[in-house]
Amino acid sequence: MPFVGEILKYRSVSIVGLAKNAGKTECLNYIIKRLPLDYFTVAVTSIGIDGETTDQVTGTAKPEITVREGMFFATSEKHFRQKRPLSELYDVSDEDTALGRVVTARALQEGKVLLSGPSGAEALKRWMRSLKDFGIDLVLVDGALSRLSTASPAVSEAMVLSTGAAVSANIRDLVSKTAYVVELIRLPLYTGPDPALRVSSFSSLDAAALKGNRAIEVEGALTDRLLQLVKNGLGEGEIDLVVGDFTKVFCSQELYRAFIRRGGRISVRMKSQLLAVCVNPVAPNGIVLDSDILCRELSQKIGLPVYDIVKNEYEIS
Amino acid sequence: MKFREIVDSPCGIRYLFDELELQSGYARKVLLDREMMTDAGRIDAAYASLRRYYDLVVTDRRRVEDMRFRLQGLRDISGTLAALADGAMLDEIEFFEIKHLAMLAESLQLGADMDKVIDILDPDGLKIGTFYLYDSYSVELRRLRDAVENDPEDAQLQEDLANEEDRLKKMLSDKLRPYAPTLRQTLQALAELDISLAQAVQMHAEGLVIPSTGAGAVITGMFHPGVRAALKASGREFQRVDFSFERGVPATVIGANMGGKTVALKTLCMLQYLYQFGFALPVTSAVMTPFDDIRFCIGDEQDEKTGLSSFAAEMQRIDRAIAAAETGKRVLLLVDEPARTTNPVEGTALVSALLERLSDKAGLALVMTTHYTVEHAGQCWRVQGLLPGTKGRKMDYRLVRTASHEVPHEALNIARELGIDARWIELADTIMKKLYE
Repeated sequence: MPFVGEILKYRSVSIVGLAKNAGKTECLNYIIKRLPLDYFTVAVTSIGIDGETTDQVTGTAKPEITVREGMFFATSEKHFRQKRPLSELYDVSDEDTALGRVVTARALQEGKVLLSGPSGAEALKRWMRSLKDFGIDLVLVDGALSRLSTASPAVSEAMVLSTGAAVSANIRDLVSKTAYVVELIRLPLYTGPDPALRVSSFSSLDAAALKGNRAIEVEGALTDRLLQLVKNGLGEGEIDLVVGDFTKVFCSQELYRAFIRRGGRISVRMKSQLLAVCVNPVAPNGIVLDSDILCRELSQKIGLPVYDIVKNEYEIS
Repeated sequence: MKFREIVDSPCGIRYLFDELELQSGYARKVLLDREMMTDAGRIDAAYASLRRYYDLVVTDRRRVEDMRFRLQGLRDISGTLAALADGAMLDEIEFFEIKHLAMLAESLQLGADMDKVIDILDPDGLKIGTFYLYDSYSVELRRLRDAVENDPEDAQLQEDLANEEDRLKKMLSDKLRPYAPTLRQTLQALAELDISLAQAVQMHAEGLVIPSTGAGAVITGMFHPGVRAALKASGREFQRVDFSFERGVPATVIGANMGGKTVALKTLCMLQYLYQFGFALPVTSAVMTPFDDIRFCIGDEQDEKTGLSSFAAEMQRIDRAIAAAETGKRVLLLVDEPARTTNPVEGTALVSALLERLSDKAGLALVMTTHYTVEHAGQCWRVQGLLPGTKGRKMDYRLVRTASHEVPHEALNIARELGIDARWIELADTIMKKLYE
């Protein structure tokens, strides 16, 4: 039963997909099925509804999560009314989302729910704080599609990444894209003295401004534009760019590599724990990649075990 | 007039509103929707209640904090209660909301019949704030739930279960319906409690005072909390000021530039609003009197946005105030330096004429700051003025009654103290002497 034991060491874990249909929901269901609920009280929610509204447009099936008896879950009023097992209501939040207020309930029997939790990382943090009276040991967060902000260490302590044929139908390309994200997730923690120079994505920079600075604090997002400015002004010297966490890096892989080659480094103030990478070799358009090759190639590239949880159906303890 | 209409008045009342530590968003909404009181009896009753909460803050702060912590759970369920009263069948979320409200009210010893409401929604006597359609509501519910669990695919069983659940929801809604009015009152009372406790805590923290009601206003030691906080941030202190005014006797305030005339006027306006919305006042002591209409005429940035020249905007504002005074209602009119943007000859004429125009309005209390010398039958106050030898840094902001309506010629002294180009100021002095000696 791979990596579920790891999850139990943390109080909050987000499950993030690199693309729609990358297998995030299967991954979450896989984890839930294997949690030892006799000893742990677990709550599950998702962030926001973006992506989910696209679902309503394209008509693809909305992801359903199976909650087990005794688990807490948070979803919008609308989805709570639509589908749920028999459940006991614990809280109705004061905050409105597009689908109504967020309802927190405990499942009294196993059943399927539609998850649509607090909208946005801040609201999610507030919701997590509001759980403190319910004695919850672990919160699982279904991250919004193609939005990594849920995985920010400011929100959840650890993460599981799911990727798959939906990201790219070419194994080499898929491995490269996934490995880049994994590399960002593993950016080292900054340990040096506080940088004297602080910049934001709106700053203008030239070589003169950079001169003599070995480290630069980046406020907010590190964009291609900002990275290009720093790279241009860099010369051949070493420089450390310090960002809040990996979710603040919005740079293309090419530029990132060029910056590293010049002697640049990016480090973070808060580091995420990547617990596992799961793959879904099936794309929504029907393309199926070779699961064994995909797992092997990706695993070699990132130096972490990679799981195809659907194919392998790892046993339940 | 609702609180939300004056919260952004240029008098700066927003500072105290923002500093008010309300526990629930609903209380905030209730406060913003509160109507201004114009009846002295109601205002005094509100203050009597605030006084009791203030005493509680002083004597039993722990209890107050416990109550405030509980009030964090207050939610606006007025929509649910309206649906209940209208005869709707409520669902589990709405039952949860009602149970939550009733348990909150009971824990704060508020509201009538809350125990009966809780009994309906807590059939097992668990005394916990959660809710679902409990098995114990009916034997049939329990039987169907077991049956569905054993055979989840049986559509007929599922339909039977849904029907039974609906029957119970309707039954519970019917049982709760008679309590809809008391639930609504309780919801309101909880919001009022949140507001009162926040006001009492603020009164304690900011050193505010409950005034008494009289025929006119007699204020000692007033200060502007927002300005005081800004001064404190730069290491300075706010000098408290005394003032009084009454209906039928216009008052003008004259005095040096930078003498705090505008701040005094803003403070008076804020005090009046605070009084008529039942807040404690930033004063040492005060007698206040209610008005039907409070008008504050001061130039603000809004004028530029609307494209009016500051003169035009000001004239229109005063025009509306005159119309209000004509109605014979009790009107407080506070005007900051009227006609200051026009030439002093016409300006003086306009200000003198305004005083005369409003002289026969027994219901009107008028306080006006001005740089012009205008004779009138009312009271004249002047800023004590610059303390000599302090390089323009020390001002005595106190307001004193003066018999002379002649505006003090202090601008040149202040400029000298500020160290402005000496040659320029001497020339101005020579011109002044030619004119007045």
